[in-house]
Amino acid sequence: MKVVVVGAGMVGNRFVDELGRLAPHIEIDLLGDESYEPYNRVMLTELIAGRIDLAGLTLSTPDSGRVRVRAGVEVLEIDRDRRLVMTPDGAFAYDLLVLATGARARVLAVPGLRDGLPRGAHVVRRLDDARDIAAATLNASRAVVIGAGPLGVEAACAMRHRGVAVTLIAATTLLNRDLDPAVSRVAADHAASLGITVVPGAQVASIGVRGGRVDAVHLDDGRCFPAEIIVMACGSAPDIGLAAAAGLDTNVGVIVGHDLRTPADPAVCAIGDCAETPAGVSGLVAPGWAQARALARSIAHDSEVDLPPIAGSAMRLKAVGMSVVTMGVRASNARLEDRVVSLADPREHRHVELVARGDTLVGVTCVGAPDLAAHLSTQFERPGMLPADPMHLLMGTAAMGVAESASPTSMPAATTVCRCNGVTKGDLVHAWDAGASTIEALAGATLATTGCGGCSKLVCGILEWLQASDPTDTSQAPDGARETSVPASSHGKRADDI
Amino acid sequence: MTDTHCPYCALQCAMSLRGGVLGGDPVSAEPRAFPTNGGGMCQKGWTSVDVLRVTDRVTQPLRRTLSGGFEEVSWDEALDEIADRVRTITDEDGPDAIAVFGGGGLTNEKAYQLGKFARLALRTRNIDYNGRFCMSSAAAAANRSLGVDRGLPFPLTDLNDADVIVLFGSNIADTMPPAVQHLGPVRERGGLVVVDPRRSATARLTEDGAGEHVQLVPGTDLVLLLGLLHIAFAEGLVDAAYLATRVDGVDEVRRSVAEWWPERVAATTGVSETQLRRLTRTLANASPHRGGRGAFLLTGRGSEQHVDGTDTVTAVISLALAFGLVGAERGGYGAITGQGNGQGGREHGQKADQLPGYRMIADPAARAHVAAVWGVDPQVIPGPGVPAVELLMSLGQPEGPRALFVHGSNILVSSPDADVVRRRVEALDLVVVCDFVPSETAMLADFILPVTQWAEEEGTMTGLEGRVLRRRRAVEAPPGVRSELEVFAELARRLDAPGTWSIAPREVYDELRRASAGGRADYAGISYDRLDAGEALYWPCPDEAHPGTPRLFLDDFPTPSGRARMVPVRVVGPDDTLRSEAPVWLVTGRVLQHYQSGAQTRRVAKLNDSMPRAYVEIHPVLAGRIGIEGIEDIRITSKRGSMVAQARISADIRPDTVFVPFHFADEGMVNAVTNAATDPISGMPEFKVCAVQIARAQA
Repeated sequence: MKVVVVGAGMVGNRFVDELGRLAPHIEIDLLGDESYEPYNRVMLTELIAGRIDLAGLTLSTPDSGRVRVRAGVEVLEIDRDRRLVMTPDGAFAYDLLVLATGARARVLAVPGLRDGLPRGAHVVRRLDDARDIAAATLNASRAVVIGAGPLGVEAACAMRHRGVAVTLIAATTLLNRDLDPAVSRVAADHAASLGITVVPGAQVASIGVRGGRVDAVHLDDGRCFPAEIIVMACGSAPDIGLAAAAGLDTNVGVIVGHDLRTPADPAVCAIGDCAETPAGVSGLVAPGWAQARALARSIAHDSEVDLPPIAGSAMRLKAVGMSVVTMGVRASNARLEDRVVSLADPREHRHVELVARGDTLVGVTCVGAPDLAAHLSTQFERPGMLPADPMHLLMGTAAMGVAESASPTSMPAATTVCRCNGVTKGDLVHAWDAGASTIEALAGATLATTGCGGCSKLVCGILEWLQASDPTDTSQAPDGARETSVPASSHGKRADDI
Repeated sequence: MTDTHCPYCALQCAMSLRGGVLGGDPVSAEPRAFPTNGGGMCQKGWTSVDVLRVTDRVTQPLRRTLSGGFEEVSWDEALDEIADRVRTITDEDGPDAIAVFGGGGLTNEKAYQLGKFARLALRTRNIDYNGRFCMSSAAAAANRSLGVDRGLPFPLTDLNDADVIVLFGSNIADTMPPAVQHLGPVRERGGLVVVDPRRSATARLTEDGAGEHVQLVPGTDLVLLLGLLHIAFAEGLVDAAYLATRVDGVDEVRRSVAEWWPERVAATTGVSETQLRRLTRTLANASPHRGGRGAFLLTGRGSEQHVDGTDTVTAVISLALAFGLVGAERGGYGAITGQGNGQGGREHGQKADQLPGYRMIADPAARAHVAAVWGVDPQVIPGPGVPAVELLMSLGQPEGPRALFVHGSNILVSSPDADVVRRRVEALDLVVVCDFVPSETAMLADFILPVTQWAEEEGTMTGLEGRVLRRRRAVEAPPGVRSELEVFAELARRLDAPGTWSIAPREVYDELRRASAGGRADYAGISYDRLDAGEALYWPCPDEAHPGTPRLFLDDFPTPSGRARMVPVRVVGPDDTLRSEAPVWLVTGRVLQHYQSGAQTRRVAKLNDSMPRAYVEIHPVLAGRIGIEGIEDIRITSKRGSMVAQARISADIRPDTVFVPFHFADEGMVNAVTNAATDPISGMPEFKVCAVQIARAQA
């Protein structure tokens, strides 16, 4: 069997990796139009920020005799009648064709951009885009990012991290698909604190171009932001050109059924950003990976495609200096019977909000609280795990411990001093009362300090306290009259100290 | 006075025994200056002599009666009948119908002789041991990446010099308390990192500026490690010069971690990207290539006892390699061995696929060498058997073994899914247990053979550092008790086994030295005389003029290329999944007072009085959810079985997880609940995470 995969992005590559392992007999060609080996597209803004290099982005490729990864191969046409994929390098025959062509970044249809991108104008979709932007930041002082979704915010933070003055233009509010307006304001303040100028509710009227280079972004209210770099992060659209030209049904994406195959031609499948399943178009990597795995298993095992339901979508910003995580339901779309618990700390640009439904945590919004976000991520949609009071979830894993006294004076008699030998403070007091008046004698009598020795300091402290509370009598003849199950009350100062 | 070592864990605290039958007075133990224990000893060590005088010591061979009890029989009667029944079963179903289960607490001499006994006297391939539950994942990973498995490839005292020590799933403050001394200097420098779902006694050592506790979700160790590797590569923190000269496979690993970016890792592990980045930078800065004093990455059972345990340790090793730590003057990777002779016990032939000297049984050259030492034709030596869980689950099955010999192990308590193991043992035709107490497993035997213990015998143990130690006899064994070496010799004779069967530990050890010569764990140069003269000898030590090898990997790795191997691994996750019928993770571990299945420590009053029962450590929020407010019993149920123990409400544990110590039998036996799913490479069962339901026991 021969499988050809068009598109060597994260989903196409994952599919080939899975299928190559599950079905060693299948011949696979993975065709990617970029000149790089498959890489982690999710991390492109990290490349702009300089927190990762190209080698760090490059993914494992299941290249072997039967699985061939071909970079820099542009697919010209699909000949479904002859089951051939046509490229400048020749035709690739297939028994099964998998389209993983992904999406294309949307370019604003405004004056200045209508005849192709002028120099200095970028989208963030492909590796070269990110490398170009990273290179441009070296000589630029001002950048404008158009679009304040996750990608826009990440790109803005990345360029700011590179020392560029960044203006972030939001059509509505910052991260408006993920954050309610009040929370969005916290995130915007957070961005502002990093030195990013956030311009909400703004529409771009045109891009100023001089000498083939961008020089400003003009808003429809007349405001103008000079810039040497303009980054458009205004969404993307499934790349359906090849499919449409091949006569396959397309809508927003390439239409496929639950089995991920095109209705018109069962020899053609689509997965990832380009696919429009009955559930719609996803645009995120996790559902794409799930499709890749499900399709690979179904082919390898000759079984039905078993696509796991995708849990409520999550957004985890990867932005230098900024932490925003959202999962599932947010306050504004919670049901009446849901419990919405929030913690607001605007001065620290922190806001945490969760939505509890019955027994389950169904919504999480965390701005500026990475530790809590990580913890809540592990509790999200876990059945039957919600605390009786959802407020406890906001307190993290610790925070409920009782502070223990480490002072020899105020420590209760039952407190274990030497763990290795199970010696309590009370045992030491007993030994003292029985005549052990040096550290060696206490060790001999109780075995305290004879394990790891970690309690030596504490035992010395207790000894000092015993000596101080009984300054006249260091020889310590046992008088047998003292109650020693707790430190003796007849010992003047010591009793008061407890 | 007799200088020896503690009978329990792999730290093998040095101790002196005063008195005893040989000296006249009741025997007592006190610690002795020695590098690993620094003159310290925990309460198990101080009370260890009490095991010599347990009241229910077995001192006569016992045979099961028709009514289900035991009757005393003579040694000859017992051995004759056992040999007869072995011969009958072998005649009917072949030698593989006899199985042998060994232990990591046996001396090197006994472990070696047990492997030989299985192969030459019983002629079975079916031998494995409880070290499979202990060190197998670390062993498999170290062999794969470094070419050799020696728990710590450096002396324990090296830890004192480092800037950073990371403990992945190890609670040494409870499991080997005197070892905590070696964390002291690092804690002073703020460099102790403990990765554990619980704020264990060891995790608490990171408090007050001594370091950092990483309280991850159970079963996500591997994801955490891939995240750390991702950051190390992404941020350019790795030791490029070291990787270029000493490590293969770097590019594959770099690629394999490209998809584990910090935010994704945070969502799985519960460890924030901030903490992940901070940890990685701390490690990098401690590394020699950035001028640090070195870092040690150490694994314990918490990270190893998983279905991806081998891959998890592999990722730890990759991380250590990434920072140039392995074989560096300061720093490295190590596994903290658990059982007393967990190291030596895994080197000399108790393992299904091994022959002495860490040789592989399928390797023709290894078979030829060992056969020559044994004086047999290599054809006589059976091929590889199956790992412990597979072996136990096959007992009494249609094609499985019909008889079982158990040495130094209490499988009814220590095995995963232990109720099933009980049923498998009950299905056997013949069970022979060598022990000195009537353990839970012994109580199911057809024959209990009373054997010597610790202070009643001579031998060697190999501690967690690969240093060979002398165990010395201080007291006379009770009359009627024999050493296992005698049992092997007597049965071998009755079964007409080839080879020689010495009952003198020194002679058996000298044979072991010859058998191990040239192997990965080469003991050839380590003699009783050198040890008795006080030499500190670490294997490999190929001849008597050789000083031994305290530190491995200084120049190269014992791999075909001489370089270490980074191996890419993929995340599979725990075998069990959380679901509404089982919404809580269960993790297991040890307490300070007890050792392993508790067969010894539960018989020591001082230890048992302070920890007589199992308990369930549970977070107050989770306790509140099931209506537990104070000291009440909790029932824990998995799809395998259930157990009951008292609640111990504590904020030290994650609110989605409960912890139970595994030393207890009967209703407090947590291994009735644990998962017998195993790591496909090492055969390690997934003790350390399974999904359970919890409820008030009264409800």
